[in-house]
Amino acid sequence: MLTYTLRRLLGMIPTILIISVVCFAVIKLQPGNFTDQYLEDPRFTRATADAIRRQLGLDQPAAVQYLRWLWGVVSRFDFGYSFFQNRPVTSVIGELLGWTVLISGLTLLVSWLVAVPLGIYTAFNRNGLGAQIANFFGYIGLAVPDFLASLLLVAFVLSLGGTNVGGILSSKYIDAPWSWPKVLDLLNHLWIPVIAIGLEGVAGLMRQMRASMLDVLTQDYVRTAKAKGLTQQKVIWRHAVRNAINPMISLAGLSLPALISGTIVASIVLNLPTIGPMLYTSLLNKDQYMALTLLMMSAVLLLLGNLLSDLLLAWSDPRVRYS
Amino acid sequence: MFKRSVTALALITLSLAGSALAAPKKVTGYGSLGIVDGKAGGTYTLALGDSPQSLNYYGVIDSNLGLVAQQMFDGLMEFNLSTYKLEPALAESVAVSSDGKTYTFKLRKDVKWSDGQAFNADDVMYTYENLIMNPEARAGDPGNFKLDGKPVEMKKVDAYTVQFVLPRAAPAFLLQQRYFIMPQHKFGNAKGAAVNNVWPSNTAPADIVGTGPFKLASYTAGQKVALTKNANYWKVDANGTKLPYLNAVEYLIIRDPQAQVAQFLAGNVDQLNITGAQFPDLKQKEVSGAAFKVFRSTALFGSPPFVAYNFDAKDATLAKLFSDVRFRRAMQGALNRERIIDTVYNGLASLPGHGVAPVNKDWYANTKPQLGNFNIAAVGTALNALGIRDTNGDGIRNLSGGKNLEFDLTYGTDSSVYPAIAAIIQSDFAKAGVKVNLKGILSSKLLSTGQSGDWEMILHAFGDQPDPELRKPIWQPGGALYYWHRTLQPAVDGGTPNLAKMAAWEKEIYAIFNDAATTTSRSTRKALYTRWQLIFAQNLPVTPLAKPENIGAVSNKYGNYIYNLGVIPGYNPVPLIFQK
Repeated sequence: MLTYTLRRLLGMIPTILIISVVCFAVIKLQPGNFTDQYLEDPRFTRATADAIRRQLGLDQPAAVQYLRWLWGVVSRFDFGYSFFQNRPVTSVIGELLGWTVLISGLTLLVSWLVAVPLGIYTAFNRNGLGAQIANFFGYIGLAVPDFLASLLLVAFVLSLGGTNVGGILSSKYIDAPWSWPKVLDLLNHLWIPVIAIGLEGVAGLMRQMRASMLDVLTQDYVRTAKAKGLTQQKVIWRHAVRNAINPMISLAGLSLPALISGTIVASIVLNLPTIGPMLYTSLLNKDQYMALTLLMMSAVLLLLGNLLSDLLLAWSDPRVRYS
Repeated sequence: MFKRSVTALALITLSLAGSALAAPKKVTGYGSLGIVDGKAGGTYTLALGDSPQSLNYYGVIDSNLGLVAQQMFDGLMEFNLSTYKLEPALAESVAVSSDGKTYTFKLRKDVKWSDGQAFNADDVMYTYENLIMNPEARAGDPGNFKLDGKPVEMKKVDAYTVQFVLPRAAPAFLLQQRYFIMPQHKFGNAKGAAVNNVWPSNTAPADIVGTGPFKLASYTAGQKVALTKNANYWKVDANGTKLPYLNAVEYLIIRDPQAQVAQFLAGNVDQLNITGAQFPDLKQKEVSGAAFKVFRSTALFGSPPFVAYNFDAKDATLAKLFSDVRFRRAMQGALNRERIIDTVYNGLASLPGHGVAPVNKDWYANTKPQLGNFNIAAVGTALNALGIRDTNGDGIRNLSGGKNLEFDLTYGTDSSVYPAIAAIIQSDFAKAGVKVNLKGILSSKLLSTGQSGDWEMILHAFGDQPDPELRKPIWQPGGALYYWHRTLQPAVDGGTPNLAKMAAWEKEIYAIFNDAATTTSRSTRKALYTRWQLIFAQNLPVTPLAKPENIGAVSNKYGNYIYNLGVIPGYNPVPLIFQK
C-alpha cells in the first residue's frame, strides 16, 4: 500500500506540471492587460503602465515569466507575488484559507450527512410518502442555484427583522477575540450559507446514493442475504450500503476542489470571506500568479482527492484491494 | 485662433480670515447644508466594495483604498463642501505670484500626525518628490508635474513653507494639490519602485499614520476595515469643539450591491450610495416608516453616460459615416433622453451638459437647445438627405454599396443602467431603420475596449470634475482618453497629436484646451470653455445622454449628513457627521 501511494504521488508531478503550463497559457491568452483596470483613473498614464509592467516582470516573454514562477515554487516554495495586493500570494491566500476551509468543509459535511441517509431511505421506501417528499425537495434543490437560494434566505431573514443577512460575523465581533458570544454569532450567520450551498449538494448526492442503492438491492447477494434470514438491519448495512457506497467515495474525492472554487457566486452574494471571489477577480484582472496558484491548488486537491478516494475504496472494499 | 495669453495676476492669497497661524481650522458656514452642532461619540458603518489592496495610497490605484484613505489623510488644499471652491487644508495659506508660475504654501504649524509626531515641510517634500512625482510609484501622478516637457520645480523654503515653480502658468495647478500627504517618518525615506511595497494590507494598524480625522484600528481581510478617531485632528466646529464627532468609522467589505442594500436594510450599514434604479424600493420603505432617509442631490461629480461612434471603425464605410457630423447629429434625434431619464433612472436624472455638469455654475454653458428633440421622422429625413435609404425594402436602411446600415453597440452588462439604455437605443434606432446589435461586456472593460478600437458604437461614461482642465485627456482631441478618434493620438505620451487628421472643429477644441491651460485670467478661461461646450454640442464627438443625480440613504440615527461621492480627494464631510 505504501509503495502504491508513493508511486501515485510521484505520478502526480508530471500531471501537475502539465496542468500549470495549460493554466498559465490560458491566463495569458485571455485578452487585455493587468493594467487595463486602471485606465480610467486620471493619474494613470502610458508611462505608469510601462513602469508597472517592468516592475512586475510583465515585459519579459511569457515563458520566462512562467519558468521564474516555477523556479520560485520549486526552490523556495514561493508562489509569486499578487499584483493586486503587492505581497506574496501565499500570505494573501493564508488570510482567507481558514474561513474557506471551515465554510466549504462544513457545507460538504452537512450535505453528506443529510444526503446519504436520505438516499438510503428513499431507495428502501421508493413509493412511500416520505420518499416522495424527499424526492420533490431533492429536485427543487437541484433546480435552484445556490446564489438564488442564498438571496431567498436573505430576503426571508430580512422580512423577519433579522440582521444576520450576509458575512459570517456581526460587525462588532469581526475584530474581537474569540468568546462564546462570538461563536454563537458565527453560528447564527453560518446556517444561511450551509443551507443555501449545502442544499444543492444534498439533492445530487441523495439521488446518486438512491440510484446506487437501488442497483445493489436487485443483486443476487442481497436476495441471498435476505433468504438466509438475516435481519433487515444487517441486510441494509452490511450488504447493501457497503457496496452501494463505493461510487460515493469516488464522488467525495472529486468534490475536494470545491473547497476552493465551489462557491464563488454564493460567496459574493452572501459576502463570505472565502477564496472563491478572489479567484474570480484575479482571473478577471489577470493577477496571473494569484490565479495560477489558486487553479493549481484546485488541481492538486483534485488529484489528492482522487488518491484519497482510491485509498478509501481499497480500505472499504476488499475486491478493489485484492485486484 | 486663440492666442496664448497670460494675464497679469495680482498676488492672490487664499487664507482663512481671522485665524492665527497656530490654530485649528474652524469648519463653519454650512448652515445652508443643514449642518448643526453635533455631539461626540458613536460609530458610523459604511460599505466597501472590496478589500483595499494596500494601505499605501500611492502604491495602488484602488477606489476602496481611496475611500478609506480619505478619512486618514489630508492634502494641502480641499474643497468647500457647499461651493466646491478651493480652501487651504494642511496649508494655512497659499500665495500665487503675479505671473501665475510660483505657488508658495504656508503649512499649518499645529498639525500633528496621529502618532503624535509633528507635521512639517519635510513630509510635504517627501510626499511630492518620492510619491506623487515618482514615475515608479504605481499610483503617483508625475504627469501633472511636467508642463510642456519641463518639470515643475519644488523647494522647501523653511520648516513650514514649500514652494512650487512652474515652467509656465497653469491655472488648474492649485486644484490638483489635494494629494494626500504621507508621513516621511513612517515611509522610512523609501524611494523609486520601493515605495510601492510600503504599507501592504497586512501592516500593523499602529504603523499607518495620517493627519486625517480617523486612523486605522484594524483590518480584517475580506471582512472589515475599522477606523478610530484621531485625537490629533486639526479641525474644530463653529464652537471650537474638536472634530470629528464620531468615535469610529467602520467599513464592512461587501462586494455585491444587492448585499449592501440588504445589510443597510438590516441596520448593519448606516449609509449607502444607491442608484436611481434602487431608489423606488428604498424610498417606499422610507415612506412606510423605515428608520432611514433617502436623499437626492444634484451632482457635480458622477458620471453621465454618453454614446460614441468610432471615427476609426474597422469597417471603412462605417468609419466614414461615423466621422460625418451630419450622421451623428441626425442620430441624436433617435436618442430618447426623456424615456431614459424616466424609465432607467426613475426620473432621478436631468438633461446632460457637454463635458461640464449643469450644476457647475462656474463653467457650465447652456447647451440644452443643441440637445434637440426625440423625433424619429426627422431622423428619417436627415438620413434620406445623406442618401441612406432602405433600397431593398427589408426595413433596414442601406449604405452606398447596398450594405445594411448595421453596427454593434458595446455596453456594460454588469451595470444597473447600461443594459436598459442599450435596449432603448436599439429599439428606437430600429424605428429609424438603423439596425443595432447589442454587444455586452464587463463595465470594467469598457475603457480598454474603447481604447483598443475594436468597437463601432459604445455606451460609456466619464466622471465630471469641477474644472474642465482636469478632464483635458478626455475632451481634448488627441488626448489619452479621446478614444473615439484614436488616429489623432500622439505616438508617445505628451507628444503632439496628429493635427493633420483633425476636423476643423477638433482643431479648434484642441487650441481651446491649450489656451485655457495656460491662461490665468478666469474670464478668458470661461469664454474659452463656453466656446468649447458649444462646439462640443454642435459636433458631438460623443453624444451625452443624461446626468444622473446622486442618491444616498442614511440611517436616522445620524445628523449632518452631506452626500459624498466618496472617492474625491479633498471632499470629506464625514468629520461633521454625528450620532444623535
